[in-house]
Amino acid sequence: MSLDPALAATTPAAMPLKGRFQGWSTALTLLAAWLLVIAATGLYRHDFLSHQTVLAIAFTMAVVGVLAVGQGIIGISGGFIDLSQPACIILSSLVAVRLSEAGLPFIVVVIGAVLAGMIWGAMNATIVVFAKLNPVIVTLATNFIGLAALYLIFQSAQVPIGSEIHSLGRASFFGLPAIWWPMLLIIIVVGFLMRSTRYGRRTTAVGGSRIAAQARGISLKTTRYVTFMAAGGFVGFAAVLFAAAAGPFNPASASTTQLNVIAAVILAGISLAGGRGNFWMLLLSVGFLSTIPTALVFFGLSSATQSIFQGVILMIAVALDGYRARRTGP
Amino acid sequence: MTDTSANRTLPAFVLPHHPIRDALTGSVASIAITFAVVVAVGYFMVGAKFLSFGNISIIGTFAIVPLFVGVFSGFALLAGVVDLSIGSVVGISAMVFAFLLQAGWPIWSAGLVTLVMCLIIGGLNAIAIVRFNADPIAATLGMLTALRGISWVLGGDMQMIAAFNMDLWSAVNSQVLGLPLFFLIGIGLTIIAAVVVTKTRFGRHVQAVGGDDRAAARAGISVTRIRTLALLISAFGAGLAGIIWVGQLGSAARATGLGLEFQVYAALMIGGYSILRGGVGNPIGGALGLLAVAGVANILDLSSISPYYVNIIVGLLLLAAVLLDRIRGGDAFE
Repeated sequence: MSLDPALAATTPAAMPLKGRFQGWSTALTLLAAWLLVIAATGLYRHDFLSHQTVLAIAFTMAVVGVLAVGQGIIGISGGFIDLSQPACIILSSLVAVRLSEAGLPFIVVVIGAVLAGMIWGAMNATIVVFAKLNPVIVTLATNFIGLAALYLIFQSAQVPIGSEIHSLGRASFFGLPAIWWPMLLIIIVVGFLMRSTRYGRRTTAVGGSRIAAQARGISLKTTRYVTFMAAGGFVGFAAVLFAAAAGPFNPASASTTQLNVIAAVILAGISLAGGRGNFWMLLLSVGFLSTIPTALVFFGLSSATQSIFQGVILMIAVALDGYRARRTGP
Repeated sequence: MTDTSANRTLPAFVLPHHPIRDALTGSVASIAITFAVVVAVGYFMVGAKFLSFGNISIIGTFAIVPLFVGVFSGFALLAGVVDLSIGSVVGISAMVFAFLLQAGWPIWSAGLVTLVMCLIIGGLNAIAIVRFNADPIAATLGMLTALRGISWVLGGDMQMIAAFNMDLWSAVNSQVLGLPLFFLIGIGLTIIAAVVVTKTRFGRHVQAVGGDDRAAARAGISVTRIRTLALLISAFGAGLAGIIWVGQLGSAARATGLGLEFQVYAALMIGGYSILRGGVGNPIGGALGLLAVAGVANILDLSSISPYYVNIIVGLLLLAAVLLDRIRGGDAFE
């Protein structure tokens, strides 16, 4: 860890042992919470522990997981939150739908959607960098503008039935939905890149202290462009999974996913203030959050109650995070 | 002011504080210009009808709920603790109030119980943010979701609760001098809030805490108390707006107030507040921001232009407003 001067200089908690212990405690807490939900529901209703449940959870995990990677990159690099993900994913999904309607091969559809997301990210980064405005306000505004513009373009869209992307949404692989596996791969690879490569550490260092990072010769402008475009690219890829699995969608269809994604990032311990976090934890937090809706249905509660639980869990997580930061912080 | 002192300390054109000059250069200045532009555009696009009492009354009716929400939640913004849960608080307040009315409760006791519930919600926000040091945006996002879920459950299969009450309806929809009574009350509350913010000790403490909480604490101001009060005020205002909503429409739906927080905060930021930096903004600027957005919506409506353009214009105005604030000396990002 200390091999990288930029990170060593910018990590205020220069206690690797403590940091590692905290990472483990996050993982164990998430795992325990997840197992508790599964065990409680399984004891109440034995049919919960079925392949159907696994499929339902995995479907939810796929889109949320990839979006959370994008959100995590923005957060860990000091960009706080990208509030424009709902507009970006719908834009990319629309691109995917239009390209597959034109009969283009699947790979072109994917590239088109990812590029659309990256262009969206570059647009956000341009405003952030050149107008020197806070990303939260910029993405709040671009989400407003983007969703309204999308409503002017279309009211409802759907991938053509029988197209490759349509069959991807219904295919399964080793007993899990095919769209789940790319999510797993992305989280593992990004987690590795952020931990073990210079680029990942630099990104984290900028989030930790932008002044110190700048003093070490890391360009803030480049970091903003790279992080926003990478995050946009992941949203574009999530759009492919979303368009594949969802039926007809409208511009507002992804708006409720936003909160799940932010909750997953915070629960995973990826600091929205930047500079701290482990992307592998997203597997646990996304899994835990995605299990709740299915579990509640088995408890006989309407699916509407899920947001009560998700909201309360988010509040408790944030409060504990803040309490811990004050106890251990400077 | 002698020549020497002017040369040494200040540029020659800096003049002592004066209310009118401050109004032209202060945080309200840009929104005053934006507001004037909206009025001018409305006049040219729609004609004299835009400024008729009938049309202002229509704009005012639509602006009542955002105005009530904005005046009170402005205190939380000023104290540096953004409260994103206001949209959902409007929703749950409307649902619970309508539920109690439907159950046969009288207006006053139903309203009182609803407002107490909203204060408890504000208190929970305060415990998370002030006591446990939670990030305000993330914590109130959690509250937003949880409350929306409760509204969803309360709505049941009907997805709404009908609670038409003739007395309440005629009170909320009554007109005074050709304008909606509650719109005038909202304007009155705005002026009172502006006086509280600029002229009272509490208001100055709120601004101090929002501007720099550590400095405020060193100056002997209780940051905990001020921020808790600000969050309670914010939830109270949203609760009040929910009750007015039921009065206006005679029902509450599970989607009541959905997305209202972003609409209101975008307008408040156009009006000079900041959701990221406390201590800036003024209730009068905020109210002008809300009215400017309501005016834009009205212009598009009268010109038969798709309402989706409202959000595009609001987004652009928001970016322009924060850019202007930044150029005028606000915090630059990086």
